[in-house]
Amino acid sequence: MGKLGLFRARHLVSRTSIGAEWENIQRYKNLTLQDAIKHTLNYADYNIPHEPKTSPWAKTIRNRNSMSRQRNMQRMAKTEGKAIQNWWVNHMLTTKTPFLERMTLFWHNHFPSTIEQTKQPSALFEQNVTQRRHALGNYGNLLFAMAKDPGMLIYLDGYKNVKGDPNENFARELLELFTLGGTVYYRENDIKEAARAFTGWGIDDRTGKFRFYPEKHDTGIKTFMGHRGNFDGDDILMILMKHPRTAETIAEKMWLEFVSSSKPNAAYTRRWAKSFRDSNYDIKALLVAILSSDAFWDIGNMGALVKSPVELTIGTMRALPYRLRKNNLAHNLSIMGQSLFAHNSVKGWSGGNDWISTQSLMRRTGLLTNLTRGNLRKANDAKMMQHMPNCSDEDLVTWLLPVPPLNPLPTQPGRQRLVRALVLDPAYQVS
Amino acid sequence: MDRREFLKYSGLLTAAGMSPELLFAANGSRPDKIVVFVELKGGNDGFNTLAPYKDPDYQHHRHNIGVKERVALTLGEKDMAMHPRLKGLHNIWNKGEMAWIQGVGYPNSVLSHFRSMDIIETGSHANQVLDHGWLSQIVPGYKQGLHGISVSNDGSSLGPLHSSHLNSVSMQSPRTFVNQSKIIKDITPVNSTPALAHLTNTQHQLFEVGNQLRAKMSRSLRQKKTTRSKGVLGHSLESVAQMIIAGIDSPVYKVTQTGFDTHSGQVGRHNNVLYQLDHGLSRFIHSMKQNGLWNKVVIVSYSEFGRRLSENRGGGTDHGTASAQFVIGGGVQGGIYGEAPDLSRVDSNGNVAHTTDYRQVYATLAQRVWNQPNHPWRGHQTIPFI
Repeated sequence: MGKLGLFRARHLVSRTSIGAEWENIQRYKNLTLQDAIKHTLNYADYNIPHEPKTSPWAKTIRNRNSMSRQRNMQRMAKTEGKAIQNWWVNHMLTTKTPFLERMTLFWHNHFPSTIEQTKQPSALFEQNVTQRRHALGNYGNLLFAMAKDPGMLIYLDGYKNVKGDPNENFARELLELFTLGGTVYYRENDIKEAARAFTGWGIDDRTGKFRFYPEKHDTGIKTFMGHRGNFDGDDILMILMKHPRTAETIAEKMWLEFVSSSKPNAAYTRRWAKSFRDSNYDIKALLVAILSSDAFWDIGNMGALVKSPVELTIGTMRALPYRLRKNNLAHNLSIMGQSLFAHNSVKGWSGGNDWISTQSLMRRTGLLTNLTRGNLRKANDAKMMQHMPNCSDEDLVTWLLPVPPLNPLPTQPGRQRLVRALVLDPAYQVS
Repeated sequence: MDRREFLKYSGLLTAAGMSPELLFAANGSRPDKIVVFVELKGGNDGFNTLAPYKDPDYQHHRHNIGVKERVALTLGEKDMAMHPRLKGLHNIWNKGEMAWIQGVGYPNSVLSHFRSMDIIETGSHANQVLDHGWLSQIVPGYKQGLHGISVSNDGSSLGPLHSSHLNSVSMQSPRTFVNQSKIIKDITPVNSTPALAHLTNTQHQLFEVGNQLRAKMSRSLRQKKTTRSKGVLGHSLESVAQMIIAGIDSPVYKVTQTGFDTHSGQVGRHNNVLYQLDHGLSRFIHSMKQNGLWNKVVIVSYSEFGRRLSENRGGGTDHGTASAQFVIGGGVQGGIYGEAPDLSRVDSNGNVAHTTDYRQVYATLAQRVWNQPNHPWRGHQTIPFI
């Protein structure tokens, strides 16, 4: 197998990293595809920066149950929520292993929980740590961990789901979003029965960790997806893991993350789902299947993804020597529609072409305009060139854009002017 | 594949242009009819919005959270009443400019927020997935150029205006739109990939609408704000009013009020969101009347579904089926339309059967507001509310 070369290396890096960093592309262009994928998947540093200060569950539980202290809760959640947002943004900006963060972000969007609805940033931080730990691991382990995750138990009312008064919120999203997907592979009654099975899953008041309360658990017989028994939550998850749709749901989401914003091609996603199941839900096995597929490398799919706000802003700052004057990245992400720990709904950000609305496009263009502002005279290029690759203009275009520029390139000379024109070209918004 | 081959390949594709119906009219003026959709997000409880307050089944199932006779805003027909927080709209009802449509839903209703909203916004059957907002079937036949504007806090959801066949834009407010669109340059849309097609189309629309807003609104936006509107919905509706008054050529606007997913503690939450709705709409209607535009405007509410008849132990209600919808406007025939759902017969989930298909409302708007007899809902009977 031949070496990747610049054009293909930039494709792989721009779709797996946060921003197409020149050094990574240079490393990959001399590797074979197989070795480049192996490096992408295995080069992961799980250490995280010093964690932000947040109030533990044991401290907030009293406020939570008091009507008069709701404002305190709100204020605390807002302040600490900002702290965890900034913490993650900074980590994404500085990490040496961006693919791990990108996958953590993928799972953050698959299993979302929000500051506003949980009012418990400490639990969301822990959830983020758990998602990172499993991000390149095993989907079964991730699913079981999320079903028992305190942040999730608060977000989808699982901790209020008790015998005699079942709450269907988690059970519904488990089937519709986390496993089977859609609304046609199960019936309303399966949701009700699953909710009964999850009764008694709660949070320990003292430790803030998962705890099973046997006295709140419904021990009756449940009928779920054609199976009958005295099921508990683990049994329900096991049944869902045996269903072929669970792997397909993940494969379809990955199509939208790595291949194209058009509808997933079932010929591919079914095949990927099969390798996923055959590997007992090894996330790396699924990723190998995707990153080495024809669909991923299809030239018609170059420029077929819209960059997420994280890719667009943090990616630009990672790859190019541009900095924001004020450190308000998390806020910038939020006004472009990707507020961390603050999805609009449990479905997560819809992403794809929906990243671009008239409103968000103004914000995206505005941010890139601000970032690339500065002295564009050629005399000033030397300063910037210290942080820029020394390559031909043609390679520069290949590096920064997945498809040829839509706007004409500047006629005046100057490296900075060229880079700015490329970053502000509509083609820079896609990947 | 090498770079040169690649350039050739994409160059061929990017040469494609736009279809003519997507071109903007040079100097559009305010349309004859303007429809304002109010999305009630989360699943509005129809039973407490338009309450059958005298029905013994209602009183039984809504023992704690039901609308009580002593506070109900009675309508003087069919033993129905409006929620006590809808005082301003009750005045509109008394003027005969408000239509209530009862039991709105669809067969085999889906209780997922996302899926059911997709169904309502695309005009599909329960088991059918359509890609385009339902307005794409009607509005392009009514007029060219700009088709709709969605105003919301995060400027995201186009809802029924979401379609590549429509010129529709989303914004937070005309003020931010005018300011922020200054830096946007025009571009000829391409369709090399769906992502680039969407992007370049959006950018072109942004440019065109930005120009129109700048031309027609620069002066009014410079004036000092004398707003008395409150809340997200109030501000959104105020923006819509500004654009209608300025003569923007959009025939459709969409605004959103969130917070209708009242699984617990419903009374306080529903009171609050209905108050926001009543306040925002009352001010909007007032401003339309002051400017002599009230006969042009039709306000239509919609929600993904209604809520369950029986209240739950948490003082809330779970996802349901049929709900009540309202249509308001200077040219609207006030009254209660459709049959009330039969509260004595519920399905295995505890939900009532719908009596009016939501697409009857679409058929009515298509025929009677936009004069488009050829629409996909011809099999659905129109409702004489307009």
